[in-house]
Amino acid sequence: MIDNHPIMPPAEGTKPLDLMIAVMALLAGLALGASLIADRVATNWQSGLSGKLTVQILPPAQGTADDGLKLETEAALKVLRATPGIARARALSMREQASLVSPWLGQDDIAAELPLPQLIDADVVPGKSVDTAELKRRLKAVVPDALLDDHAGWMERLRDVTGGVIWSAYGILLLIAVATAAAVSFATKARLDAHRDMVELLHLMGAQSAFIARIFEWQYARAAALAAAAGTLAAALFFIAIGGMDSVGIEAVPFLPPLGLSPVDFMFFPAIPLSAGLIGLVTARLSVWSAVSKIY
Amino acid sequence: MVRFENVGMRYGSGPEVLRDVNFVLEPGSFTFLTGLSGAGKTTLLKLIYLAEPPSRGLITLFEYDLAVAKRSDFPALRRRIGVVFQDFRLLDHLSVFDNVALPLKIAGSRTADFTEDVRELLGWVGLGDRLQAKPPTLSGGEQQRVAIARAVVARPDLLIADEPTGNVDPEIGTRILRLFNELNRFGTTVLIATHDRALVESTEADEMRLVEGRLVQLRKGRRPA
Repeated sequence: MIDNHPIMPPAEGTKPLDLMIAVMALLAGLALGASLIADRVATNWQSGLSGKLTVQILPPAQGTADDGLKLETEAALKVLRATPGIARARALSMREQASLVSPWLGQDDIAAELPLPQLIDADVVPGKSVDTAELKRRLKAVVPDALLDDHAGWMERLRDVTGGVIWSAYGILLLIAVATAAAVSFATKARLDAHRDMVELLHLMGAQSAFIARIFEWQYARAAALAAAAGTLAAALFFIAIGGMDSVGIEAVPFLPPLGLSPVDFMFFPAIPLSAGLIGLVTARLSVWSAVSKIY
Repeated sequence: MVRFENVGMRYGSGPEVLRDVNFVLEPGSFTFLTGLSGAGKTTLLKLIYLAEPPSRGLITLFEYDLAVAKRSDFPALRRRIGVVFQDFRLLDHLSVFDNVALPLKIAGSRTADFTEDVRELLGWVGLGDRLQAKPPTLSGGEQQRVAIARAVVARPDLLIADEPTGNVDPEIGTRILRLFNELNRFGTTVLIATHDRALVESTEADEMRLVEGRLVQLRKGRRPA
């Protein structure tokens, strides 16, 4: 039986290089997941507030009848429901209002004893806009203490913050992607350096650069892709574990958004080992051509 | 086949290793290149098998003027040359068979087409039972024979050997010389660098002698029978 294994020597002493690629791929996977989460959280925040109006009616002064607040709330609701563009208007119950302040005051009944303002939640018909200046004027006419909040200022600040978070996340992802590409390129060149004598011999025997490149590039691409796949898998498992924590209670932590990734998000992850393989392949080819061009 | 005109060679800014070298290797000739160690034999061979460019002078190879030939033509020129390197340059991870078959693979031949030829050639150099052995497990003489088999397997137009009998016993040395003669008889031009006087005297081939980088003596002999 004739031995007919490939010309390329077996990979030896490359474990540190593979480990380096795997670690970089892990970081790239974490950065990718974090970017996707940041993007989703920011979108959720914005969509949660857009199309909403809130009316706040201050509580009556001490010693005044509580009926005043109820009447003012009814009057405000009437104005809101008669306003073009408002789909729905609803006064929040005391329990709902207490839960809103519970992150600061706790779950006790303290909130119930406080003179909380009455909140009215109004939804704008999707695609329609409401003339808030005119609405404010009409509300003031019936309830002088009413405050209308269309969240414009908060939305503006939120847009700035979330934009910053998203771009920072993508910036970090880009930096790690560049570092990963550099690591794959470095590892490929180091592998090729170990076989420079072989490249020179094949060149002197009349092998075309493409022939020599073919020997190396697929093995190097495969090695880079496999190492990166290991790191990416570790990152994916991390996000699966974090997603599992959502279901056991982390979601209950105030303001902390759900940290798990959706199945669609995970579809981006194979891009990391595929890119690593492609970089390994291209680097191997360019390095072979560069090495051969220096020989004569 | 090979023409050198006023060829000089230096490595970097060092002294000239070859100076004003002029010679012609006719197609089908058999020539020894002799000289002491350090005389420049290996450097001259490197210029012929396109491992180094000359510092000055003109080299013509297979009717190509190398000064104006395109680099893209070099691989095809190199494939017409078989080289036995002084340090063998075998690939340790490949078997004897695969090392010898390497020039044929580079030329694009399929394994099925050359398997028998490679077996036969290895049998001829006395390595028929070592097809699967790896070079590190072979003796120096066996490695040299693998290197020779690799150099001749593609029936090159020009065979260059740098001290090809340096590590083999006289019987194998005679056998290798007979192989070179056989190839030469079928038209391969042979150039052997050696400082083995006995080898040179055993034939009446041409001899070129290098002394401190100069080609100082040319002996025109008969082609070996």
